[in-house]
Amino acid sequence: MTSNGNTNVKRQMPPCRSACPARVNVQGYVALLQRGKFKEAVEIIRQDMPFPAICGRVCFSPCEDACARTNVDQAVAIRALKRIVADVEREHERVKPKPIPKKYTKKVAIIGAGPAGLTAAYELAKLGYPVTVFERMHEPGGMMRYCIPDFRLEKFVVSNEIAYIRDLGVEIKTDVEFGKDVTVESLRKDGYEAFFFAVGTQLGMKLNVPGEDLKGVISAVDFLRKTALGEHVEIGEKVAVVGGGNSAIDAARTSIKLGAKEVMILYRRSCEEMPALPEEVELAEKDGVKFYFLVTPKQIIGENGKVKAIECVRMRLGEPDESGRRRPIPISFSEHQYQVDTVIAALGQLMETSCIPTGLLDKTVRTPALKIDPLTLETNIPGIFAGGDVATGPASIIEAVGAGKRAAESIHRYLNGENLRKGRDDNIEEKTWVKNWGSVDKKERRYDSPIEKPHLSFEEATEYLQKTKKKAMFEAFRCLGCGPCAECLANLELCEGDKAVVDESLCIGCNTCVAVCPFGAIKKDEKEIARVNEDLCKGCGICATRCPERAITMKKQSDASIVNMILATAEGGK
Amino acid sequence: MKPNIACFMCNWAFCQNNVELSSNVKVARVTCLGRVDPAIVLEAMANGFDAVLLVGCKPPDCHFVEGNLQAEYTAKVLKNLVSLIGLEPQRVKLLWSSPTDEKSFNHYAKEFSKEIETLGSSKLSLKEVDSKLKIDVLAAKNAASDFRLRVLLGREKDLTAYVNVYGEKMPEREFDELLDEIVFGEFIRHKIHLLTKTKPLSVKELAEASGMKPAIILKQIVNMRRKNMLALDHVEGTTPLYKALEVK
Repeated sequence: MTSNGNTNVKRQMPPCRSACPARVNVQGYVALLQRGKFKEAVEIIRQDMPFPAICGRVCFSPCEDACARTNVDQAVAIRALKRIVADVEREHERVKPKPIPKKYTKKVAIIGAGPAGLTAAYELAKLGYPVTVFERMHEPGGMMRYCIPDFRLEKFVVSNEIAYIRDLGVEIKTDVEFGKDVTVESLRKDGYEAFFFAVGTQLGMKLNVPGEDLKGVISAVDFLRKTALGEHVEIGEKVAVVGGGNSAIDAARTSIKLGAKEVMILYRRSCEEMPALPEEVELAEKDGVKFYFLVTPKQIIGENGKVKAIECVRMRLGEPDESGRRRPIPISFSEHQYQVDTVIAALGQLMETSCIPTGLLDKTVRTPALKIDPLTLETNIPGIFAGGDVATGPASIIEAVGAGKRAAESIHRYLNGENLRKGRDDNIEEKTWVKNWGSVDKKERRYDSPIEKPHLSFEEATEYLQKTKKKAMFEAFRCLGCGPCAECLANLELCEGDKAVVDESLCIGCNTCVAVCPFGAIKKDEKEIARVNEDLCKGCGICATRCPERAITMKKQSDASIVNMILATAEGGK
Repeated sequence: MKPNIACFMCNWAFCQNNVELSSNVKVARVTCLGRVDPAIVLEAMANGFDAVLLVGCKPPDCHFVEGNLQAEYTAKVLKNLVSLIGLEPQRVKLLWSSPTDEKSFNHYAKEFSKEIETLGSSKLSLKEVDSKLKIDVLAAKNAASDFRLRVLLGREKDLTAYVNVYGEKMPEREFDELLDEIVFGEFIRHKIHLLTKTKPLSVKELAEASGMKPAIILKQIVNMRRKNMLALDHVEGTTPLYKALEVK
């Protein structure tokens, strides 16, 4: 949210934060972790998004891709750190949050309790709006609950994060189907003034090959949802998963865990173009999933109405298409068959049009889509906003969170009659103080999320936790803190928020401060007097210690105050 | 009796332990150990602490990237100055902490406490401190606050880690020698300055008072006159007497 009215000044951020769709203050919580402040670290994450534990498990972590440390060695294990702070808080330090008092009377309805909807609800509740979330399924969480298998994201984690949002005073009504049980009109009658559609994309895309109606062909979303609901899905011994995204990997790994003997993933491009997370692919390989690249199904062959085999064609890669990936081109006469019992189609998802008010649909395009403003998430009906997968097509949790935040801001402005667009465009500048990457010490990655839970006795667990916490703190020290001062922390009194001040009458322009400042925050002006850039100054005080004329002092911690700290408590001193 | 220990601790060090303090260790938390001015530490020692423990984050991990490096330079100079005063350099200890460290701060504090106990209490912690020692401590403090020493400390990394415009890099040993020389020079100069403040003294008297060779004293006096720290007061017979000038 825009805090200062001056839009000309770009907000400076470290690369990790500017890469995150939800703009989580990564540098801030990693810094807190260096000091072992686990609880405060979670609070920092919660300022920007409500799902630290979930994102700590399944986020595709654009922050790590952007991490400045990749210039030196590997990225800081940001996701793993987020996971451990969230887990430690959940298991040990969670205090039930107090409901936020309702400052406003205008009610907001949110349709769909997925990551986008819940984030919007969370942000609006924090602002003081009465918010109700309507969810069709029996439990809230959307794709987080029903499409990510338990071995990647445990259900209790999802429930827990949602419980936090509920505790803040968000009302979540489940088993309410929009379009059937409630409509925009009925909700308007009930006093709701703004709506946010975040229904996601619930329909699996079809393979569009002959034999698709055979028994044993299922879409990945349906398969995962059924498994999550505990329904029995018959998969037989041999499973073919078509597609290369995370759902494909999830479906393949789930099949193995359900007892399939042989699971193969058929992907029409090569390994490099796979959209799935590399570590997930690795785990799938470990589980025994076989990968066949550059193949696409041509037809599914059945016997007695059941799948018997899948016939595929080989592909070769042509020129890059509009998505930047190379377009696969079929090679003629390369048909071959795989004997399978089940075919899982994981080609992507489409929205269900039944729950969308008809006026919202964009009729000009072939696939169902909504007409929305990408910046404000407005639809063509005033008061109705839409975002998340339903607007962008299937994406990630963190992008949905970003959309939820934007929607909350828009709704807040809409309900207060403010301009929706003014000062909204992201005015963000990536900023790091590091000038020479070669001079940064190399440090190997020191911590990662555990893939398997260790089996420990009750006594061992405490010790294990302590060790893990220390390891995480050790990893946090790999963060260069390459961005400007991690803002906000000083307001929370978690950091000193100290800044250097130059006494102009004493400064002789000797350049010592410029040489010692680790962050390049001090520059000399045309009068040869040192100037401190307060955004970059992190308050370490090295310049004050080295300034030969003592022209630099620290705002908060003066030399005298340090001496007093020692002497005040000393009885032994004279 | 347990020794009195002053501890300057980086805010980011030993954070996982609630630092329980034994009564003889007084802790001042600072933003970064690089923040600790050598003059502050000497001030603490002058106030009767037997020893000083500096606690920082183990290199290469520092929240402020180079703070621990600066602390290392500070500690180096401090040890030097402390031995010039005539105390054991072991009374200043630099301790690195790391999250992976199994031992707690208390463990190290106790260990250090024991080390100091064997050294005995500092001469500065006595009720009646020797007036000569008083001047020494003050001289050391002034030396630590002196322009030359501070600039040199500030430039240590620049000089030893990077090449200059002529493509030369100063070997660390050479730098250390230079630093020792400067620390010694500054200390003597400030001592002469303090001694001549009250009454004019000759080179011979100064040499006696400071236990140095007259040649060293004379060399510094020439320097000091050039720097306007000292002036010729009057000549007694054939012996010139010098008096300190007010510096700024």
